[in-house]
Amino acid sequence: MHDASLLSQIEAAPPDAAPVRNAIARKSEWARPIGYNLLSLGAALLAWQLLATMVGSPFFPGPARIVVAFDALARNGDTLGNSLWAHSWASLHRVLVGFGVALVLGVPFGLFMGLNNRAYVSTRAVVEPFRFIPPIAWIPLAIIFFSGLPRFAFLIFLGAFFPIYTATQVGVARVEPIHRKVFLIHGASKWQILSRVVIPTILPDILGGMRVGMGAAWLTIVAAELTGGTSIGLGRMMVDYSELLKIPEVIVGMLMIGAIGFVLNEGLLLTEKRLFRWRWQVSL
Amino acid sequence: MKAASSDVKVRVKESHRYGDLLVHDGIEFDVRENEFVCVVGQSGCGKSTLLDILSGMLKPTEGHVLIDGVPADPKKQDISFVFQEPSNLPWLTVWDNVATGLRIKKYPKTEITRIVDELVGVVGLRGFEKYYPHQISGGMKQRVAIARAFATDADVILMDEPFVSLDQHTRETMQQEILDIWRLRKRTIIFVTHNLEEAVFLGDRVIVLSNKPARVQEDMRIDLPRPRDMLGRDFNDFRIKCAEVLNGTRQRIPQTASV
Repeated sequence: MHDASLLSQIEAAPPDAAPVRNAIARKSEWARPIGYNLLSLGAALLAWQLLATMVGSPFFPGPARIVVAFDALARNGDTLGNSLWAHSWASLHRVLVGFGVALVLGVPFGLFMGLNNRAYVSTRAVVEPFRFIPPIAWIPLAIIFFSGLPRFAFLIFLGAFFPIYTATQVGVARVEPIHRKVFLIHGASKWQILSRVVIPTILPDILGGMRVGMGAAWLTIVAAELTGGTSIGLGRMMVDYSELLKIPEVIVGMLMIGAIGFVLNEGLLLTEKRLFRWRWQVSL
Repeated sequence: MKAASSDVKVRVKESHRYGDLLVHDGIEFDVRENEFVCVVGQSGCGKSTLLDILSGMLKPTEGHVLIDGVPADPKKQDISFVFQEPSNLPWLTVWDNVATGLRIKKYPKTEITRIVDELVGVVGLRGFEKYYPHQISGGMKQRVAIARAFATDADVILMDEPFVSLDQHTRETMQQEILDIWRLRKRTIIFVTHNLEEAVFLGDRVIVLSNKPARVQEDMRIDLPRPRDMLGRDFNDFRIKCAEVLNGTRQRIPQTASV
């Protein structure tokens, strides 16, 4: 036994060396990209401002005018008194509800189809075509059948469901037969294999699908709000201001959508990195 | 609960065919409780199939494998398996990988902690408990798999050439280590290999399988004292004897006359 522990010391680096190295690497991994990103953001704003000054048209505002419009919208709200935050929250709320439903239905459905290949193969012609009908194409039907939150949630659900469902269903095939075998040998039940082998294996795929689904949900909400049926929401706000030909407010709406989408995506990415450090280190 | 060491633990009597192809032609042998049995054979003679049948995951077309008189079934008996290829779960740490079998079998938490802590030390992985499989060497990965196999109160541990992908040096160390663990935690082991030296070094018995369709060509007791010296005369005699039997299996038909 003494030989064994001695040998393992020779064979591998001391236990504390790797984490220290990782910690150092992780810090520069973080700090440097943030610096570069701030720099490029500043450069882009500067270029935009320069271009706007050169063009000198009220329909091509620079960042300075956007800031003014932003400030007014945030503090005083729009013509009806709804503030920028109320618009943002209305859109975000709809997205989160629709996305939540897509997640709750998409993962189990994907698991079921992934684990039961026969079910998948024999229902392909029913399920798969839906994937190619864009959520926007559902708007006419949604307007007829639903109103208010359910209408938006339904459209967002359609956008977010398929990326999550497909990622889950495809991920199941990635489960290593050997891992399943380890569990079978120890006499594991179907449920134990599902919860401790299949789900941990596909969790990164599910998170990847969630990121794609979140992107699709965000695209859908703006399109859905543009069609009306509500007086609040970022898409609605943009339509109202474009009818008034007030471009800076429209651009504030655009930037707000971009910013919220960016934050949501970064949040999911961060979760992914935290949860699946092993996988990032293996595959990158 | 455990029977006396002279009792038969595993009783094998089976034939197996894949479609028209007969792969096992009446393989028959017994393994006693806590015995270390090595099975050797030409590559492609159906050794892996034998392990699948022994583990109860594959039903032989004829006959049966009995463990304590009952047909082998992973759900009813405690069977462990050390695979040839890496089998650790990449999202679990070394410690959690060793605990896998115990958790599936729902051992009490304190018991799991006690057993895993002990075994991690036994296989020389102390200090690496929180490492993930991709952070450790190939030899260490196999140590994790071996610790996992020994962790549960296994009726039988099956090993499928567990050291085949390791370098010579690591391989020799691991051969010694597996005997050390076996001495500490007595188990019935059936170890498949194509390496004769390994078989003679490890086994109480070496079973030589014939070429396809496989049957037991020779069942040899290795009555050498342990620890065994791979360079010793007696050791070499056994190795040569095994090699002769094994080579004989290559031209089975012309040789049958001389037996």
